[in-house]
Amino acid sequence: MNGHPLLEARAVTVRFGGLVAVDAVSAAFAPGELVGIIGPNGAGKTTFFNALSGVVEVSSGELFAQGRRLTGASPHRYAHHGIARTFQTPRVFAELSVAANIDFGLQFAGRKRDASWLLKDEASILHLIGLAAQAGLPAGAITPSQQRLLEIGMALATRPRLLLLDEVAAGLTEGEVDQMAQLIRRLRDELDLTVIWIEHAVTTLLNYVERVIVLHQGRKIADGTPAEVVRHAEVVDAYLGDEMVEAP
Amino acid sequence: MSFGSWLELIASGLITGGVYALVALGLNLQYGLMRVLNIAHGEFLMVGAFLTWWAHTQLGVSPLLMVPVSFVLLMALGMAIHRLTFRRLARTSPNLDVFEARGLMVSFGLMFVVQNFAQLLWGGDLRGYDFMADPVRIPGPGGGAQFAANKLLLLALALAFSTALIVVLRKTLYGKGVRALMQSPTGAQLVGIDTTRLHPLMFGIGLGLSGVAGCLLSMTYTISPSMGEPYTVTALIVITLGGFGSMAGALAAGLALGVIEAVGMHFTSPSLKSLLSYGIFIAVLLWRPNGLFARK
Amino acid sequence: MKLHIKPALARDLLVLFALTGWALAIPYFGSEFMVSMALTCLMYAALASSWSLFCGTTRYLSLATAAFFGVGAYTGAILLEQIGWFGAITLGAAVAAAVAVVMGAAVLHLRGTYFAVLTFGMTELIRHAITWWEKQVTGTVGRVLAVVPERDTVYLTVLALAVAAIGVSIMVRRSRFGLAMAGIGADEQRAQTLGVNTRLVKIGGFALTAAFAGAVGAAMSARWTYIDPATVFNPFIGFQTVLIALIGGAATLWGPLIAAVVFSLLAETLRLQAPQVYMMSLGLLLILCVLYLPGGLASLRTATFGQWRDDTSQWWRERTRAGKKGAR
Repeated sequence: MNGHPLLEARAVTVRFGGLVAVDAVSAAFAPGELVGIIGPNGAGKTTFFNALSGVVEVSSGELFAQGRRLTGASPHRYAHHGIARTFQTPRVFAELSVAANIDFGLQFAGRKRDASWLLKDEASILHLIGLAAQAGLPAGAITPSQQRLLEIGMALATRPRLLLLDEVAAGLTEGEVDQMAQLIRRLRDELDLTVIWIEHAVTTLLNYVERVIVLHQGRKIADGTPAEVVRHAEVVDAYLGDEMVEAP
Repeated sequence: MSFGSWLELIASGLITGGVYALVALGLNLQYGLMRVLNIAHGEFLMVGAFLTWWAHTQLGVSPLLMVPVSFVLLMALGMAIHRLTFRRLARTSPNLDVFEARGLMVSFGLMFVVQNFAQLLWGGDLRGYDFMADPVRIPGPGGGAQFAANKLLLLALALAFSTALIVVLRKTLYGKGVRALMQSPTGAQLVGIDTTRLHPLMFGIGLGLSGVAGCLLSMTYTISPSMGEPYTVTALIVITLGGFGSMAGALAAGLALGVIEAVGMHFTSPSLKSLLSYGIFIAVLLWRPNGLFARK
Repeated sequence: MKLHIKPALARDLLVLFALTGWALAIPYFGSEFMVSMALTCLMYAALASSWSLFCGTTRYLSLATAAFFGVGAYTGAILLEQIGWFGAITLGAAVAAAVAVVMGAAVLHLRGTYFAVLTFGMTELIRHAITWWEKQVTGTVGRVLAVVPERDTVYLTVLALAVAAIGVSIMVRRSRFGLAMAGIGADEQRAQTLGVNTRLVKIGGFALTAAFAGAVGAAMSARWTYIDPATVFNPFIGFQTVLIALIGGAATLWGPLIAAVVFSLLAETLRLQAPQVYMMSLGLLLILCVLYLPGGLASLRTATFGQWRDDTSQWWRERTRAGKKGAR
């Protein structure tokens, strides 16, 4: 392991025509971190993820994975470098079975990468995310929250070092959100992953992550521990409001 | 080259360009609004041409009268086709990409059906008739220029219909609804614009314009059942140049393409015309897929 | 690669073997007419199957088949005397594949309808370019093949190409390459984020489909003995290939073959008396398939008929109910 951060964004800007979706955001991620990204709607969170995974082209700025320049590379190169992601609305291969969906990542990006024994084949991954019983069903036939889990499984099949989770807890009940958060914690711990997690369920997220990045109108306005961030004036103004300051 | 010759050259380019624009506007309306790439579009131009020829030679109807008649007939045909095919497709397709692909395939099938039906009915020979073919002299420096009256009529009516469509889309409420739908289908529906009425109507109007173009063409040129395809391709080139969905762009690009072709053919050789058109087409699609006039 | 053969693979190979055996018998027992019909059928079976291999799975509808066919035909016609039969076929395939790589590199990053239209445009461009070249530079109108192999050689070659096309399809479907193409067809961006180098896969698949078309073109040029741009670059070759593949079921293995057989029969019976009726029925069938049977003929199952019956009765109920509510 060299001294470079696992993934580093330097002044990444993403422009769509006249609209600046991500505005000169810099951030570096070290191995094993559990980072949350929060911000109001339209803050550029998903676009930032799209830039970090190569899905969208950066208009300016640079992206490095362990010191290697990945700016402008196509998404499959990011995947081969161990950067995996889920999509906000689950994009599973509806006609294939759940097991085949997981197997897909194993056949491509995950093929030549080392990984823990927990990710050794689709059965293990299915077991890890709790979908072993649905293995034979077509992915289009399972429930939306199961599809969310499948999305995570598909990302894990690429045997990543860094996992980008985009609002995986949206629409879940409070109890389910907690379960999801625990699963994420577990994945980070047992698989030695770095996890970056966008979420709207801010309270839960703040309880589980160790570092929070706040985006507002494309800019990064805060980057620190949960305790620091909730007291940050600009964050309070823009997003959280006063009640959060009192939360432990 | 004298001024008169230049004028004739550019004007003949504008005349062909006027027809290109008319056909392209219809295609644009269908693609921009409904994402249906109707590659059978030129076939309906051919139908308009043949209907006019038949009405004139068999029933003695004036081709001028056939201009609105072919519009109405083809509009009705278009609405029927939409109801029978594309409407069902819109209902049963899981997403936009699939709908576009299936729409393309359906129009592919339509191309086969319409072209061969015409060939069955009217035979594969070239047909034609004379109408207003006397030359008209336009005064100007260097002796002015001379054009056949029917060609001037062609240009005038093509421009008239094109500008009428653009004006209707810009000024009337109906037209604004169509443009809203083009920009944001869900948004438009949320404010109450009725797509179930608008789609077949617009598809019909697109086809109607194609029919009018065919009617106008039959006055000046010979027609045959296979005349449609080149116009479909040209229309595609035009809407690519002008930007998918942009009406004014299609008008400008159509006229421009006509002139470029005329000038190009004059200075190089007529057999290079197709090469030139396809070359421009591919170049634009590769380097400026949003059209020449798009803002980046 | 696993050495033991699974039952499904065994079944596919067995069917292929049986069909091949049957097709082999035709030149020896069939009439001239039958051989001619079988040859056309095999030609379209090869073209449609290789087309589906790439275009059916990735859902990039290519209209460039005529371009590759024509390139192969010209290569074969020009070089047959110098390099022999086997060489002509191979080179025809290779040149067509090279054209596909160039075309694909330029065009494959575009979406469905753009791609279809562009491949058509490029095919026409190639046709016009070659027409112009032949007229202005080489001064010929068409090309005559003076020395051609026997009818049976051509037949066996086309048969071999058809078998190869289906055989390759069988293998590719089970390979990682086939999985990558299926992923591209299902959700290209998703496949990319899972590690598929879509650009390479698409160009490779496109080149593969072109190679078959080029080889078939080279073979058929020997059969026709006289070629010119209008016949070998005739866009109708591409259209019919696409139509057959779509009606048969572009994403299936046997669909294109089934449709090729059906249409060869239709073509031979109708084409001389009423060629327009034949083409109209092609078009009509395509429309009906896209509307009611998107998976093509090969996806026809007993369940489908039940589905149609239910759809029709529901439609009928709605109409009568609307009628009872009174005229509007």
